[in-house]
Amino acid sequence: MAEVRLENVAKAFGSLTVIPDLSLHVPDKSFTVLVGPSGCGKSTLLRLIAGLERPTRGTVRIGGEDVTTKEPSKRGISMVFQSYALYPHMSVARNIDFGLRITGVSKEEREARVAEAARILALEDHLDRKPSELSGGQRQRVAIGRSIVRNPKVFLFDEPLSNLDAALRTQMRVELAELHHSIDSTMIYVTHDQVEAMTLADQIVVMNKGRVEQIGSPMDLYDRPASVFVAGFIGSPKMNLISGKRFGNPEAETVGVRPEDMELTEGQGYEATARVVETLGSDTIAHVRVDELGDLTVRLPGHMRLRDGERLRVTPNPDRLHYFDADDRRMETARA
Amino acid sequence: MSESTMPPPDRRPGPAERLREAVSNGRLTAALILLPPALVLFTLFVILPLGESGWYAFYDWNGYGTPEDFVGLQNFEQMFGHSVFSVAVGNTVKILVISLVVQMPLALLLALLVYRQTPTNAVFRLIFFVPYIMAEVAAGLIWSFVFDGNYGVTASIATTLGIDKFFILADRDLAFYAIMVVIVWKYFGFHMMIYIAALQGVPDDQIEAARIEGASRTQIVRHVQIPYIRPAIAVSAFFAIIGALQVFDIIIPLTNGGPSNQTHTIVTYLYEFGLTRLRIGFGSAVGVVLFIVAVLVAVFYQRLFMRKAAS
Repeated sequence: MAEVRLENVAKAFGSLTVIPDLSLHVPDKSFTVLVGPSGCGKSTLLRLIAGLERPTRGTVRIGGEDVTTKEPSKRGISMVFQSYALYPHMSVARNIDFGLRITGVSKEEREARVAEAARILALEDHLDRKPSELSGGQRQRVAIGRSIVRNPKVFLFDEPLSNLDAALRTQMRVELAELHHSIDSTMIYVTHDQVEAMTLADQIVVMNKGRVEQIGSPMDLYDRPASVFVAGFIGSPKMNLISGKRFGNPEAETVGVRPEDMELTEGQGYEATARVVETLGSDTIAHVRVDELGDLTVRLPGHMRLRDGERLRVTPNPDRLHYFDADDRRMETARA
Repeated sequence: MSESTMPPPDRRPGPAERLREAVSNGRLTAALILLPPALVLFTLFVILPLGESGWYAFYDWNGYGTPEDFVGLQNFEQMFGHSVFSVAVGNTVKILVISLVVQMPLALLLALLVYRQTPTNAVFRLIFFVPYIMAEVAAGLIWSFVFDGNYGVTASIATTLGIDKFFILADRDLAFYAIMVVIVWKYFGFHMMIYIAALQGVPDDQIEAARIEGASRTQIVRHVQIPYIRPAIAVSAFFAIIGALQVFDIIIPLTNGGPSNQTHTIVTYLYEFGLTRLRIGFGSAVGVVLFIVAVLVAVFYQRLFMRKAAS
């Protein structure tokens, strides 16, 4: 049992309050992703769970136990850092078994655990190398291996893929998902990349200015964003957010429609001009200027050919509109 | 395409090719303009005096007129047969050992205590660094007052404890230990600053990763921080060794080499028995030996330790 609970946790650095008051439940064996823009407090939250920072107020529980004042090494967690934090003077094997060595684990057990981690992460051929002799992806695997051998109750990841190129990031994303399936532990993962959040998470926690904006499954957040912030943050390209008045719905302050919920129509719909057309192969993203509504983004099938400056008509799918009130919160009842 | 026209894949440019490249990219012009002033100054003030010193070492010469009394290796024979020279060499070795065994660990310990950037640490760093920026002669005079058995701090201690006055700097057995205390006090701040700069370069997340893995403070220092700053420690040790061979201006105001010539180093020996007694040829012979030792130590140390540390 390794659920993580934060109860009314606050964190301030001097006069700067990063997390005013936050409660969160991370279920056992879940892959929970903390996502939000830079400076929203997600890394601070992870460090509070790790014990690298002490909360100004509130309680942190791991597996039901209050660990608020416990040292990081006594919490049953392990952490993978953005920079990997590998020791440059140690070989891969010694990096992986460092924690076991200094805590007095026997040589036989250390070797067995390192061999198992190396097998899972395909590092068997690199155990004698130094980190400087490895690629970015291999270094990331070593950092994960260092976590695995400690058999932690909770794995913490602080933007672990940020330093990798796009192709490697995609590959490592898949490997992390496989790792979660194979070791079946609780994982808490911080990222500012909503694609990583959507693809990896069982549960996403969207954070903004030290507060939780919404917690839910990826598709929950995508289909029913609780606020304008979540609507704009989750999804790529971003949801189109239109003034309710301009959209003809005075009840709602803002009306949202995802780019894929807009379609090109003939003879009816809003008149628009294609400003820029991005052809991605699988999709075509058209940035259009709608005469009545302003600038919008429309996702079209990949084979669709449009020219910059072309006149067209767009129609939002009325069943897929999202309505938000003056406080930017979701409205369930507003209908045009 | 014939084989002869295919350039080998890892071919390095030849001298003529490198010269053409240097001419075309302006490096040759820059070297021709910038190198001569430095070369002339270095030759005038380093190479020529060194050469002259080597020449004087074979003469019995008082520094006036032209050296004419060629004595061969007599100056070297006298030097190596002189008991005070042996004491001076022994003292220099003692300074070397104390620098490596006491001064550097002390500097590292203090650096570990104050390397983090906080206002309090900044104050302590400054306090620890003050002895280093103080002129050697001034430091020597301050400590000669501290060790003064009649009016200094030791006199106050003797009075307070109700014991006989003691004169450390006049004691044949203790004087050099007092000097070593002053040397450690004077130079530990320099080594501490080298370590502080290096410790501030150790990534925080490596230390945090070690904390998460259960490493104690001592284990973090031993397994993470010291290995990371090994190149800085190698540089610091290099300066300590070269510095030990050059100790001079701390000793002159403290003991002037006494009592009974027991606190000489190689350089004060050179000064006392070469320059002040107008035996420039003999002093030059000491200087030549010191120079050769310094160069050998520097070259061997660079080859053996600094490259290893850097790798």
